[in-house]
Amino acid sequence: MRTSVICGLASVVNLFFVSGMNGQIKTIESFALRNVNGQIWSTECNKEVLGFIVVFTCNHCPFASLYPARLNALNEKYTPLKVPLIAINPMDSLLYEDEIFSLMQTKAQLENFNFPYLQDEKQLVSKQFGAEHTPQAFIIWLENGKYVIKYKGAIDDNGEDPAKATPFLANAVNDLLANRQLDEAATPSFGCRIFYRK
Amino acid sequence: MKKYISTVLFSLINYCVFAQYQQLVIPDTLSGTQFNLVLKDTFKQLKSGNQTITGGINNHSFWGPTLIMKKGDLVQINVINKLNDSTTLHWHGMHLPAVMDGGPHQVIPMGGTWKPYWKVTNQASTLWYHPHLHMMTMEHLSKGLGGLIIIRDSIESLLELPRTYGIDDIPLVLTSRRYSTTNQFIVQNVAYGDYMLTNGTPNAETDLPKQFVRLRILNAEIERGYNLGFSDNRTFYIIANDGGLLNAPVAVTRLKLMVGERVEILVNLTNDAVGTALDLKSYNSGQPFGYPGGEPNTTGAFGSLLNNTDFNVLHINVVKSTANPITSLPQKLENNVYFKSADAKVNRSVAITNGNPGGKPFDFDNVSFQLNTINKTVMLDDIEKWTVTNNNIFGHTFHIHDVEFKIVARNGVESAVGDFESGWKDVMYVPRNESVTFVTKFSDYADELHPFMYHCHFSNHEDGGMMGQFVVKGNRADVNRKSYISAKPTLFPNPVKDKLNIQFGNSDVKVYYITILDLAGRTKLMLPQPNLQHGLDVSQLQPGVYTVQITDELTKYIHLVKFIKQ
Repeated sequence: MRTSVICGLASVVNLFFVSGMNGQIKTIESFALRNVNGQIWSTECNKEVLGFIVVFTCNHCPFASLYPARLNALNEKYTPLKVPLIAINPMDSLLYEDEIFSLMQTKAQLENFNFPYLQDEKQLVSKQFGAEHTPQAFIIWLENGKYVIKYKGAIDDNGEDPAKATPFLANAVNDLLANRQLDEAATPSFGCRIFYRK
Repeated sequence: MKKYISTVLFSLINYCVFAQYQQLVIPDTLSGTQFNLVLKDTFKQLKSGNQTITGGINNHSFWGPTLIMKKGDLVQINVINKLNDSTTLHWHGMHLPAVMDGGPHQVIPMGGTWKPYWKVTNQASTLWYHPHLHMMTMEHLSKGLGGLIIIRDSIESLLELPRTYGIDDIPLVLTSRRYSTTNQFIVQNVAYGDYMLTNGTPNAETDLPKQFVRLRILNAEIERGYNLGFSDNRTFYIIANDGGLLNAPVAVTRLKLMVGERVEILVNLTNDAVGTALDLKSYNSGQPFGYPGGEPNTTGAFGSLLNNTDFNVLHINVVKSTANPITSLPQKLENNVYFKSADAKVNRSVAITNGNPGGKPFDFDNVSFQLNTINKTVMLDDIEKWTVTNNNIFGHTFHIHDVEFKIVARNGVESAVGDFESGWKDVMYVPRNESVTFVTKFSDYADELHPFMYHCHFSNHEDGGMMGQFVVKGNRADVNRKSYISAKPTLFPNPVKDKLNIQFGNSDVKVYYITILDLAGRTKLMLPQPNLQHGLDVSQLQPGVYTVQITDELTKYIHLVKFIKQ
């Protein structure tokens, strides 16, 4: 069942839509989640894009905390190229208080996030993506009105030393922007485990 | 030329960062009677390239601080779980009430604080603490969650033994890990690691002074046994088993140390020249089938690059002696009076069963562990003899909570018990096609609700169900059960700022457990058998409405009361 979204409304309603699978190509149809600015952020209201970089991250994970500067740089670089970055917190905040919304707001402010930081309170969007760890990155690309997952995996391969890292995620975005076959469409995911409520 | 310089520079940097040896990490110590342990997700640089996601305690990123306790002290531990997962923390080898033991039933939810306390009655020894969440023990241990406990007492303190921590008294926690291509620990379908970690240090080396040094060694592996010895085959001296000092040192050149076991050894470096080096190694090649880590495979679930081979555990550089060195071996250590076979009032048998490829996992007596099944009931103060029989396909280590025991026979033969295992034990190796018999006494702590565990200490085996549980039964003679009324408690002041008082109409009422939950149902505080004399300290709680679950000790009835924290 689809729910219509009135863009810009600051309502805390779960607007997640059921996604579909198309053979081996996994698609994400549309979703809407609460942003740390208090408003609902939705794919429906951000359609002037080629796709999104979606990074699952959280408040408590020390390894995820190595990445904000890199995420800001990615967003700054790729938003003008119509591939903005959004971050989603997939953690179960009912069980783990460190992940509650108000602490997400604090974190976004302290670390100067220049991208939306969304709470997936019911973990439905994260399950749909198949997110396993924080941090973990996906690229979804708008094709025929649906978002196709083009990349799934690590942001890069060195948390502490970006200068020594292979930028898997950025390389994948560059390949997609240049209409090239992706060198690596999936890389192993690692970080703090996401536990899903059953 | 530029390229040449770059290459040399890169090699030099690489050498400095990942030289042949790395300095052995010595975990910090915490001492006194109050201990705060914060369990958290973290990471550590263990291999070149990406960091490895690990579990840490306080400021440690793999393996936690060493707790130093004194016999006779009442110790209070605050275990704060900041992991994104529930866990438990078990005090391995410690004699304490079951509800303080940290077994699979004392689950600390994420964000919760568990506050066990007990009087230290163990004699001077090297114990340890580690997670014990059923089906998650291997994963949590593999992350590096755990630490050593050193107990000191008046007998050990009077002996001429090395005891300057990190200088001539060295903790050594032995384990190994397998890594993924992204340098992450592999914790599924892996019995053995490929790369040695000593105190979480790859390729560890340390300086040791030219004198007698004491090594406190723990096998913290998943399955691997260590056949320890020195590269020059020198004699060294076992001074303590799991539960404390032996009566006299035992001279050996090789020592098998299996998972969960601890040993304290003295090494004589007085005749070594300053500047020379030697290696502590595990001589694991050529072990018989059934020895954990003796398998020939180098890959797969039971393979490892360290299997069936001799490998370094610690590189030792001999340096000048300290100001007051220990230069001789004590002849006498303790006056332990051990239990004998004839002391036992109750005999029990435990068979190691199943575990065949494709069949049920390893278990005891054909029964897989169930959290709500009590497998054995022991009467308080009984001396019991347990015989564990392994007519199975592989060696195991058997560990029992609550007690230290004396091994009295192997295959029914008293003289077959080795001198190296002649002291107090809480873990014993049960090789394939052997039986091992121990005698112990279940004293002090009766609790018909909370069980203690016995299990194989291979964490993959215990997670798989090779575990049982027993309660120690006693009687509270001070209360007439028929006329006993568990009166509803009152809380005051309410609202409260710091100290919350709990009062019952009936003075017979004792509180077994208090759990404090916030309005969302998150567990914030877990207080086993709390001392309510001076009220509960709730100053750390955020302002809000809380529910207190108060469990009556006798009836186990749970009262629910609310309070407001200002």
